Amino acid sequence: MFFEPFTDVVPSFFGWLNQGPMTLTLFLHTVIVLPMFWIYKQEKARLEQEEGQ
Amino acid sequence: MAKKSVWSDNRFWQRSAGWITGFAAMLLIWLTFDTIPQIMMGSDSDIQNGVTKRVPSPTVINYKITYEMDTKRGHEIPVIGGANAEGTSSFQEKELFFGRDDWSEEEAAELLNLGKLGSQAKNCMNCHTLLGNGAYYAPDLTKSWLDPAWGPEGSMQAMTGKDTKEEAMAEFLINPSQYPTHARMMPNLGITAAEAKGLVAFLKHMSSIDTNGFPRNFGKIKGAVHGK
Repeated sequence: MFFEPFTDVVPSFFGWLNQGPMTLTLFLHTVIVLPMFWIYKQEKARLEQEEGQ
Repeated sequence: MAKKSVWSDNRFWQRSAGWITGFAAMLLIWLTFDTIPQIMMGSDSDIQNGVTKRVPSPTVINYKITYEMDTKRGHEIPVIGGANAEGTSSFQEKELFFGRDDWSEEEAAELLNLGKLGSQAKNCMNCHTLLGNGAYYAPDLTKSWLDPAWGPEGSMQAMTGKDTKEEAMAEFLINPSQYPTHARMMPNLGITAAEAKGLVAFLKHMSSIDTNGFPRNFGKIKGAVHGK
C-alpha cells in the first residue's frame, strides 16, 4: 500500500508525511523539483536576454 | 558565440541549492517544535482522565501494561490498565509494583529518576538499546518489561526463583553474573537493591511509551503477543 489512512496518535503534518512510503517522496519531489523548474525558466530567460544584448 | 546552457550556469545551481537548503532548514525547525508536545511526559491526571499520551506519567508503574496488536496502525501498542472497546488503554486494571499499586506521582518520578540516572551511571547503552539509542550486543531493553521471559511462565523469572516480574528483574540486575542467560553474559555492575528497584521502574515506564511499534521485531519473540 503506497497510501495508508492516517492512524498516528496525534494528528500532525509530519505524521501525515510518514503514513506510507510514497508520501514523503512525493512531497519532497514536489517542493524541490517544481521550484527548480521555475528557477530554470527564470535563468534561461536571463541568459537569453544577456545574449541578445 | 555558442549558446550558454542553463545547466552550466552557476546562478541556476546556486539558487536551487539555496532553495533546497532554506526549505529543509525551515522544515526541520518546524519538525522540532511539532515534536516537543508529542514527547512531553503526561501527568497522573491524564491517566485518571483516561487521556493516552505517547509518554505517560511515572505513575504508570501502578498499572498493568500489555502489548496489543493495533490492526489500524499495523503494529503493537502498549495498553495501560487493560484495553477499552477501541483496543486502547482503559487505565482501569492496576498491578502491584514491589507490593504497592499506590505510588504517588512524586514517589514514582523519584524512582524513575533513580533508575534513569542508574542506567546512565552503569552505561546500559554500552551493550543494550533503550528507545533506539545504544548497542545491540545485548537484548533491546525498550520493551523488556513486556518480554514473556520475565512473566509468570517465563524462564527468566523461574531462574531467579522470584514470584513477581519486578522482583525477578531486580534480582537479576543485582547479581547478573550468577545467572547463565546468554552466550554473552551480563557482568556484575555492582547495582544495589535500591538502584535495581529504580531501574525496573524505569524499564516498566519505558515499555509503556508508544514508540510506533519500535523495536520492530519485538513481536517475533516466542510467546509475545501477535508475533508477525
